[in-house]
Amino acid sequence: MSTAPLLEVAGLSCRFGGLVALHEVSLTVREGEIFGLIGPNGAGKTTLFNVISALTPPSSGRVLWRGQAIPHSRPDQLSRLGLARTFQNLRLFDSLSVRDNVLVGLHRFAASPLAAGLLGSATVRRRQRQLEQRALELLALVGLAEEAQLPAASLPYGERRRLEIARALATEPRLLLLDEPAAGMNPAEKNDLCGLIRTIRDHFDLTVMIIEHHVPLMMRLCDRLAVLNFGERIALGSPAAVRHDPRVIEAYLGSAR
Amino acid sequence: MDAGLLQQMLIGALLGLSVSLPLRCGQLSLATPGFFAIGGTVAALLSTRIPAFAGTGATSPLPALLLEMGLGGLLAGLLAWAIGGTVLRLRGIYLAIATIALVEILRVITLNLPFTGGALGIFGIPQPFATASGYAGFTLVLLALVCWLCARLEQLRLGRAMAAIRDDELAAACVGIDTAAVKLNAFVLSALLAGVTGALAAHFLNSWNAKVGSFDASITTLAFVVFGGSRTWLGPVIGGLVLTALPELLRPVGDLRLIVFGLVILLGPVLFPQGLITPQALHGLGHGLLGFGQQLRGYGHQLLERASGPRRP
Repeated sequence: MSTAPLLEVAGLSCRFGGLVALHEVSLTVREGEIFGLIGPNGAGKTTLFNVISALTPPSSGRVLWRGQAIPHSRPDQLSRLGLARTFQNLRLFDSLSVRDNVLVGLHRFAASPLAAGLLGSATVRRRQRQLEQRALELLALVGLAEEAQLPAASLPYGERRRLEIARALATEPRLLLLDEPAAGMNPAEKNDLCGLIRTIRDHFDLTVMIIEHHVPLMMRLCDRLAVLNFGERIALGSPAAVRHDPRVIEAYLGSAR
Repeated sequence: MDAGLLQQMLIGALLGLSVSLPLRCGQLSLATPGFFAIGGTVAALLSTRIPAFAGTGATSPLPALLLEMGLGGLLAGLLAWAIGGTVLRLRGIYLAIATIALVEILRVITLNLPFTGGALGIFGIPQPFATASGYAGFTLVLLALVCWLCARLEQLRLGRAMAAIRDDELAAACVGIDTAAVKLNAFVLSALLAGVTGALAAHFLNSWNAKVGSFDASITTLAFVVFGGSRTWLGPVIGGLVLTALPELLRPVGDLRLIVFGLVILLGPVLFPQGLITPQALHGLGHGLLGFGQQLRGYGHQLLERASGPRRP
């Protein structure tokens, strides 16, 4: 059993031309925790997610997965390692049904020789039924079982968010990155979402990293929090410690002087 | 209907399906006529140069045709596989331009090779079928088979991955789809189908030259898919059938026919932006038929009740 943390971000910087989106950010995410990432708009939270999920190359620094560097990684390779994410501005497959969105998430487990698939051999059909069953289970978990056959584009906003979570869970991740999953939800929906995130963490034995602007929600939900401001990590620790950190208060409210 | 025209329409449908495969994963490739030309050239060369392929009787042997179709498809598929990795890094209109260039390169090569007959091409390709109806029957079976495979593909992992890439390539990569590999698969399948179709078309046309794979053909075959719709297998088939038949069916109109044909191509996308056949339309049609069936059944029940007379307790 290795003692290396699930994810380690070491001295990560990311520059876009003259703009420094991330500056020497370091943090570790431990197996099984809900790790929150907060900070004012433009602090670099989504950029950090994009670097971790190999969508944006870092300018310097490293991302370690269980203590191992993952060089030249592509998003699909990271998905196979056990990383899944949702997007701040929702990226569903709109022309597919709700169920098929989740089935695409099960892509990795659907491998069959093309010829056998085209001819529809008994094994392939049985496997297909299992996957469809699995997709429905995941949809039931996020409360979308009734909507399985609808086009994904027809779902209301809150349900689209939950569908994206179901699709990410289908890839059987070890680490789930949630980018503002509660954006645009009313307080009751936010509460439900909080419960859902805890449920899936316990149910799948997951580690969750979450970006969210609603600070009270994050204080209740997260085991540990990191605070970013202008691309720098200004605080890291338990919700209680972060709440009283003078630099955090300054970033959110401005200094007293 | 004239069997010769029917045969041309069926070939149009097959080419429409070939163009639609890369489009299924959002790749605008216009290379189909190039691969079509390769398949035809393979068949023309084999059957005019090698006695075993030409046969001795009035018609050339059918196994030879099947073998040529296999080899034509294989060569086209191999070429697609070899260049696909590089070409498919391009996106959108740039991929379209690169594939047009590929079609042109293949055309010029065919024009200048010492054994492909230059501008005149290859003549006297032996006929495996004595009549046009024979060709049409054979091609109909092939088209039915390809349609069935394409319909199956829509239900499969590869087909779903293709649809996911068309909707959002980045999200598809993030759920673990090797997007480059899926796009390459679609490109190779498209080339294979075009190559097989070319081998069949060469025999039917009796002669084969470099003009078959031209820029014009790229645009025409693309029009099949734009007109018919690229979201289901039925769209490109309908597009290929209708747009191949239209210029011939419009002959009575005289010189106006090109204008009418142009208008159809112009108005198609304006009136049906997703093409004639969309999944929604198919769904609606399915429900309509189901409703009609239920109505019939209800009517049947009524008749039965009337026949057995009013029930008494």
